[in-house]
Amino acid sequence: MGKVKLATSWLDACAGCEMSLLDVDEFIIDLAQAVEFTRSPITDIKEFPEVDVGLITGAIGMNEQEEEAKELRAKCKILIVLGDCACFGGICAMRNAFPKEAVLRRAYIECESVKDGKIPSSPEIPVLLEKALPVNAVVKVDCFVPGCPPRARDIKYALSELLQGRIPVLPSDMMRFD
Amino acid sequence: MSDRKEITLTINGNQVKGKEGDTVLEVCRANNIYVPTLCFLEGLSFTGACRLCVVEIDGERRINPSCTYPARDGLVVRTHTPNLEKYRRLILELMFTERNHFCFFCAASGDCELQAQAYRYQMDHARYPYTFPSLPTDTLNDFLVIDHNRCILCGRCVRVCGEVVGNHTLDFGRRGWRTLIVADLNQSLGQSSCISCGACLQACPTGAIFSKVSAYRGRTSEGKVIRSMCSLCGVGCEIDILVKDNNIVRIDGANLTGLKGQLCLMGRFQQVYNENPRVTTPLIRNKKGELEPASWEDASKLVTEKIKDYKARHGAGSIAGFASSLCPNETLESFAKFMRNAVGTSYIDTLDGSSFRTIAQGISAFSKNGKGLEIESPLESILGADCVLVVGSNPLETHPVAGCYILRAKTRKKTKVIVVDSRQNTFGLRADIWLRPDNGSEEALLGALEGLMAKKAKDAEKSMRFVSVAKAVEVTGLAKAAIQNAAAMLSSAKNLVVVYGDGVLAANNPKLIARLLDLAKLASHDGLKVISLKPRGNSRGAWELGIANQNGMAKAKPKLAYVLMCDDKFEMSDWVAQVDQAEFLVVQASYRSPLTDCADVVLPSSIWAERKGKYVSLDGKVGYSQKVLEPPSGIKEDVEIIAKLAKKI
Repeated sequence: MGKVKLATSWLDACAGCEMSLLDVDEFIIDLAQAVEFTRSPITDIKEFPEVDVGLITGAIGMNEQEEEAKELRAKCKILIVLGDCACFGGICAMRNAFPKEAVLRRAYIECESVKDGKIPSSPEIPVLLEKALPVNAVVKVDCFVPGCPPRARDIKYALSELLQGRIPVLPSDMMRFD
Repeated sequence: MSDRKEITLTINGNQVKGKEGDTVLEVCRANNIYVPTLCFLEGLSFTGACRLCVVEIDGERRINPSCTYPARDGLVVRTHTPNLEKYRRLILELMFTERNHFCFFCAASGDCELQAQAYRYQMDHARYPYTFPSLPTDTLNDFLVIDHNRCILCGRCVRVCGEVVGNHTLDFGRRGWRTLIVADLNQSLGQSSCISCGACLQACPTGAIFSKVSAYRGRTSEGKVIRSMCSLCGVGCEIDILVKDNNIVRIDGANLTGLKGQLCLMGRFQQVYNENPRVTTPLIRNKKGELEPASWEDASKLVTEKIKDYKARHGAGSIAGFASSLCPNETLESFAKFMRNAVGTSYIDTLDGSSFRTIAQGISAFSKNGKGLEIESPLESILGADCVLVVGSNPLETHPVAGCYILRAKTRKKTKVIVVDSRQNTFGLRADIWLRPDNGSEEALLGALEGLMAKKAKDAEKSMRFVSVAKAVEVTGLAKAAIQNAAAMLSSAKNLVVVYGDGVLAANNPKLIARLLDLAKLASHDGLKVISLKPRGNSRGAWELGIANQNGMAKAKPKLAYVLMCDDKFEMSDWVAQVDQAEFLVVQASYRSPLTDCADVVLPSSIWAERKGKYVSLDGKVGYSQKVLEPPSGIKEDVEIIAKLAKKI
């Protein structure tokens, strides 16, 4: 059997999930033998090829991320999401209690470290969505690994199960939302 | 209720027994069948708010919440079918999407019942769109925060506030999914009738109500929970203390909906940490008149030398000891033994000794048979009363849990409450009748009430024993009708409990207490029911040890005074004047206070949480407080300090 092709996408997130993925200790060796990383933070490949497994961390907070999630969904057979942001909206969803304009104004104009600020409006910059959304609000997701960040053992469990051909659901005693 | 008919149900294919009148959930719990719940809390009424406890019942078209479904003979119930589990997960997903239930920045994460149920049902995502509401957060209370965004509207806080605390501050406001928990008529909690007892906090299954003193300081799983007793006020509530890294993280009532587990703001919040500066080393006043850190060796040497010196020059009678009644029995006993045997003086007293002597004289004037505090009733008798007369006390301020017993009785049994207090007293506003006689005329008022109540007594006897209404109107400044109304209410009571407190004790008038006891006896149908709210947590213990017995104490003018303050707070009172006259003042205390500042020697001692101790509650029940913290280095327990001094003398 050839290697399983994996593509990852880092959306509205802090890198905690990626750190946790790297924290799986020696399992990373088994993983590297079984999996071919295509687009990922470590390979620096820009385009999504057709893959077996797509992996998303982070919520969907901008139109670019929405596009990216849809593209990866179209090009992968199984989509797995890591972390509370991707599963529920997480930290990114904290801004959802406020209107988008208020959030932008706070960040670019009212923030204490800003002088003569201006809300960016270039057409080259992605546009903030009204609300940050969990990934399953935009595309169909096959497998969820919650946690902020997910524990390395959770990620190991989920990926091992996937490599064995099963769609995992974290057992109750493993599941953590924080 | 044991005479209820036994019924048999079939639950999950097994025959189980229950009692008629139980709900299906109660039968399940009694038979150790787990049914998940969120809005259910032992001891509160059932509302069926969360729908997590749904079960399938043969003959019913729909699934039904087991907590509100009456059990009956022959019922066939299933609690865990795939269909039910599907609905339970659905309910959880709806709860999670309805408001803000993101755990990672929640104070309750790890101790949250909603989160635990989500784990149980492996809820790794929600299939419904989130509403992301923007609801207010109420932070104006000193100790409690209500974050409506985390509320699931289970109503446990509303029910515990009404049914257990009896305060009825919290309720539901608005309608449907916009429903919010509101205080009073939609006030902020900090400006409402809330007494900050924290019962709602303990009842809340999520992080919607959290404590300012405990939030983010540790989870239950990170520390150790120790069952102990609150020793502050003499009600003697049972507490569960969560300790982590030698810090108290949280204090919970051991039995929230039962007796002595409800707690008050003092027991639940103010004890968690005390910001007053500790005395961390022995202090000796130097030649410049400043307090200076010293070694234990020097400090105890100075104290023992001074004691010997004063004893030799002026006799042992020139030395007096005062102890706080916050100290446990062990400490008080060793202090009394030290003063009596080692020092040789008979002048020892508690800081609240005058209260004891007033009560004791009042009781002996009333009973004339040598009985003492044992004639008083247990606190629980309030819960069975149909009328409570509160004299000179705001129990919600001095003994909040006792005050809540009165409010609980008022809620559950429609108990009438009469308050007699000449002072401004917010408890009077909650009473059915608040009589506010002119200061000092309480005795006359009680005499007039007695006269009106004693219908059978002959006029001649009446005029001898009681006070005429006309006279009472004259001295109290109250309207005649007000006195008559109160007397009518007292006369119709079958089970009157009289509660008196600091106002009566401060008057230092044994006759007033004798009058109170007399009134209670006149109204009683099955025995005298009187409760005095004593000033400190172990007042009764100290008094029973005989430490406050010395009648000459008020006139004692000690030259050397030894004050055992422990962690009591400093208050101006009679004994301060006596101590003030002393030439040499030794203070053994945990915290810096105006008293330690004028002492000649200060000996640092441990606080309540740093020692084990036996306490006697105000109604005479013995309880034990546990040592949960290690004291800071250099601080010793009171007993140890006293033993060391005794050895040197």
